[in-house]
Formats: sequence, C-alpha cells, structure tokens
Amino acid sequence: MEENKVKVVLGVIGADCHAVGNRILEYAIAEAGLEVVNLGVLVPQTEFVNAAIETDAKAILVASLYGHGEIDCRGLRALCEEAGIADILLYVGGNLVVGKTDFTAVEQKFTAMGYDRVYAPGTLPDQVIADLKGDLKQRGLLCE
Amino acid sequence: MELRNKRWSEQEFYAMREEVLQQWPTGREVDFGEAVKYHESIPAKRHFAKRLVKAKKNGETLTQPRAGVALIQEHINLLNFLSQEGEADLLPTTIDSYTRQNQYKEAQNGIDESRRAGRSLLNGFPAVNHGVEGVRKVVESVNAPLQVRHGTPDARLLTEITLAGGFTAYEGGGISYNIPYAKNVSLEKTILDWQYCDRLVGLYAEHGVEINREPFGPLTGTLVPPSVSHAVAIIEGMLAAEQGVKNITLGYGQCGNLIQDVAAIKALEQLADEYFRENGYPDCVLTTVFHQWMGGFPQDEAKAFAVISWGAAAAALAKATKVIVKTPHEALGIPTKEANAQGLKTTKQLINMLRDQMFPITKDVEDEIAIIKAETRCLLNKVFELGQGDCAIGAVRAFQAGVLDVPFAPSKYNLNKILPARDNQGAVRLFDTGNLPFTPDIIDFHQQKMAERGKAEGRNPSFQMVIDDIYAISHGRLVGRPR
Repeated sequence: MEENKVKVVLGVIGADCHAVGNRILEYAIAEAGLEVVNLGVLVPQTEFVNAAIETDAKAILVASLYGHGEIDCRGLRALCEEAGIADILLYVGGNLVVGKTDFTAVEQKFTAMGYDRVYAPGTLPDQVIADLKGDLKQRGLLCE
Repeated sequence: MELRNKRWSEQEFYAMREEVLQQWPTGREVDFGEAVKYHESIPAKRHFAKRLVKAKKNGETLTQPRAGVALIQEHINLLNFLSQEGEADLLPTTIDSYTRQNQYKEAQNGIDESRRAGRSLLNGFPAVNHGVEGVRKVVESVNAPLQVRHGTPDARLLTEITLAGGFTAYEGGGISYNIPYAKNVSLEKTILDWQYCDRLVGLYAEHGVEINREPFGPLTGTLVPPSVSHAVAIIEGMLAAEQGVKNITLGYGQCGNLIQDVAAIKALEQLADEYFRENGYPDCVLTTVFHQWMGGFPQDEAKAFAVISWGAAAAALAKATKVIVKTPHEALGIPTKEANAQGLKTTKQLINMLRDQMFPITKDVEDEIAIIKAETRCLLNKVFELGQGDCAIGAVRAFQAGVLDVPFAPSKYNLNKILPARDNQGAVRLFDTGNLPFTPDIIDFHQQKMAERGKAEGRNPSFQMVIDDIYAISHGRLVGRPR
C-alpha cells in the first residue's frame, strides 16, 4: 500500500544546483521501498521543514555539494524544533565545507548543529539507505 | 520584451540598463565611457581574445584553472600562485554561488564571516559586492588574461561590474547557465537576460574593446552526448554574435573515449564555422575549449591525476585552443591552491609532450565526426524549424518538446527524457533517445551500440547501467561494468 510507506524529504540545500546525485538518491531510496518527497535543488531551510510537516515525513535528507554547507545547514534543527518536529531524523552529506578538511572535524561540526548522521564525500546510496532503515526501525517507525 | 534573435536597439538596451544598475549599490560605480578608457590602458598580453587568437594560430593548447575565494587580497594571492607556481596561461575568477543566484545579502554575509574566520566560507569571488573598484584591484594585481566563470541565470549586473572592472573574457549563456544551474527560471527570461550581456559585450566591441565570450559547453557535465552540447553551444554562439560579439569560444566536456573526444572537437569546429557563416556571422572569430572530465572523480589523488592526464592528452590531441583543468581534490570539493597548481602542471606537462604529435584522422575518427555532425544537424534543423527560422524562439520550443534535452538537468524547463550510457568502448551514447529528432538510422545506431554492450555484460541496458556509468570513473574505470 503506497499510503503506508514511510516518507522522507530529500533536497539540495541553499544556492546549490548539483542535481545528479539527487536524482540517483531519489531512485535508490524509492527502490528500497520508502517514499521520497524530492524537493530537488536550490532548497531553502523553510522548504525542507514545510515539506516534512505537510507530508508527515520521518526524516530530512540534506545534501550540499558546493562548499557553502557550513552556512546553509546551520539552524535547521532549531527551525524543526520551532515547527514542532523536533525529533525528526536529520541527515546531511556531500562536500560540506570549502576545501579539503579532515572529515572527523566536519562530522563533529555538523553533529553539533543537530544532524543525526553526517556523510563523507563519496558515500554510496546503499549506506544511507541501510542507516535510514536502521534508525527508523529503532524508533518503531518501520516494520521488519 | 518579446524574445527573438535580433540585435537589441539602443533604446531597448538602455531602458533595461537603468533597472539593472540599481539592483545593488555597487551598480552605481559603473560608467561605460570611463570603462572603455580603462580597457584601453590594459596591456595587450592581458587581452583574453588576443591570446586565444595567437594560440589558435600557433596550434597551442592553453591551460586555465577554476578558482575564486571570498576576499580580494586572498583572491589575488590565489591567482598569482596559479600563474606562477601552476604555470597557468589564462586565469579565471570563479564567482560564488550566492552571487550566481543574485543573493547579494547572503554573499555579504559570506564575506563578513570569511573575514572573521580567516578563511573563505564562499566557493568563489563575490564580484558584485566587491564592486568595480574591488574588481580592478584584482585585475591590476595579476599578469595574465582574466575571465569571469560562474553559472548565473541572470548575470546582467555581474557582467556590467566585471567588464567595467577590466575583465576581458566572460563565460555563460542563456541556455547553458539556465538548464544546468536553475530550477524555476524560464528560458525566455534567461535568453533575454543573456542577450543583454551579449549586447553589452557588443557595445564594448563597437568602442574598440574586444571581449571574449564563452558559452558553457559541458552543461550538466554528466554523460552529455556531444551532439546535445554542440547544438546548445552553436545556438548560444549565434545568439551572442547577433548582439555584436566578435570573439567566441565554444566548449565541450570530455566524455572519456579518446576517439569520440577528438572527433567531438573537430566536429564542433567544422559545424560552428558552417552555421556561423550560413547565418550571417562570418566575421566572428571562433576558438574551442575542452573541459577535463566534469563528472565524479576518484578520491585517491594519484588516480585523480590519471583522470586529469587523460583529459590533458585528449585536449592536446584534439588541438583545442584551451583546456579547463581539474584538480586532485575534485572528489572532495574545492581544492587548495597547491592542489589546483598540481592539476595545472600535470596538464601542461602532457600538453608540452604532445604538442608535436598529430592524432591521425582514421576511419574510426571520421565515422565518429560524421555521426556527431549528423546528430547535431538533426537537432539544429528542428530548432530552426520550430522557431520558423529564429533560433532563440526555436530553442525555447525545442526544450519544451524535448528536441533539446540535457541529461540530469535540474531545470523544470528541461524534459529529462533522454538517458545516456556508455557503449562497449566507453563512448557516450543514448540508451533512450527520448524526443530527440534523430533519423531512424541514428536511433538504430544508438540501440545497436547499447545492445552490443548489454550482450558483453550479460544484462539488458537499464537505468542501473546509467548509474553504474555515473560512478564508474570515481570507482576506477570508464565503463560501469556490473560489480
């Protein structure tokens, strides 16, 4: 039943228009049995939050490829809290900062911003999907 | 204003100009007459157009990086490093992504945060915020031809400021900076906005200041078949020429199969000469740019250097006038200046080693040139037909109908129906030709090529094959064979 599928919001944040990975993630997540609300590229924070509320999504998957991730991603958790979806899963991945940086430091920075999972460049969709299913099951939102 | 491929009247241009220069306070610094005088003081060796013409004549392939940071002095240091340490022949100024979306307040915030953090938080140089004065500091502090490189659907103010600031080359176009760079902006609007930019370049030309224009060749940079990008490049070139642009560089992004890549540059030169001549622009000087692989890169730097080298070899053997260089940090985001210089030096070494070698135009190359030309003609003929002879109107209608269709583009004005994949030798073909107006012979050719690969891999061509091809180079090969 389509209606019973868990929904996740997907999009590329800020002024970023990298579309290829977004298309592939949409395809792979849908193939894995989840419903993808794909907002595409150039997505402001408020649009992620509004889409999550409107569709009752259980996770927001944010991508940033162009290096402004640090500025663009800050404050999304607070916006979710204000909007009454404080507990929603927040994932982020891509090339999150300008320049080649030690990923541990990047992960710490984004975890401190309130993201549940932070992905390094080159992560394949399979890993994100496995984590997503695991986290949703742990929260009782997805059956075995 | 109604869209058509016709040179704007003075009245049309100046009416719009008044509005454009008010979009941000720095617009007030622009004074056309003074800017023309400023250009006259720029020494010939920093003229982009002149350098390209010389290179074409001498059979050189010039190297050019991408680079840009938030603050003026840091940007100057970066460019000088790439020129001195990286031996770059031509220099860029890559514009940050907020400016590309006309978000000048966000760009200002990025400048302020970069000052506080002591490092660039922007992925490029916010030229509109720095204004004519800031841009001239850059122009006066580097000793090589400078080009603006960006991805801005509405670049009118950016063009005004950077050209008044002394830049001698400018990338972009109404299609190539819309379809891969925007989501919701109509093609009518971006083509009109770029006619404004081209008309401004035309005005400079009429005052004796030659500025090079370059449509963005690679589009989405992801398995774009040569005929699709060639059709767009030739249309944008003609749109620019109609507005009075005299020096144009047409581009192509490396696909990875050497025969296809060499053939693509040859076909682009031949087709462009023909279409420009037949459509009333015989005096336009045309050169070519080859973009090293624009898709996903290996994270391992040694492997990335192999991808860079292969692009350098293809550019040199195809005798492109210039090559846009990648860096060993490509898979991880924006490179350090050292990594950028390494990519440049790798490329220059290859180019120097190959400059006296001719790639033979064998039967394979000839056949590939013929197929690219036949496909491009199908697309362009249909564009002119849809526009009743007008390629601006035709381009808008062609995208609506999927006659022009760019794989993996974010724009909703792109049909997204075609699907590219590699054939068994790694050349980019179409697994689904969508609504492209190809002849039955050409459609058969693509189907045969895909079937041949499917047979070799023991699987039917499918979307999985497309995905495998997108990840293939970052995983160590050209063709995405089943894992």
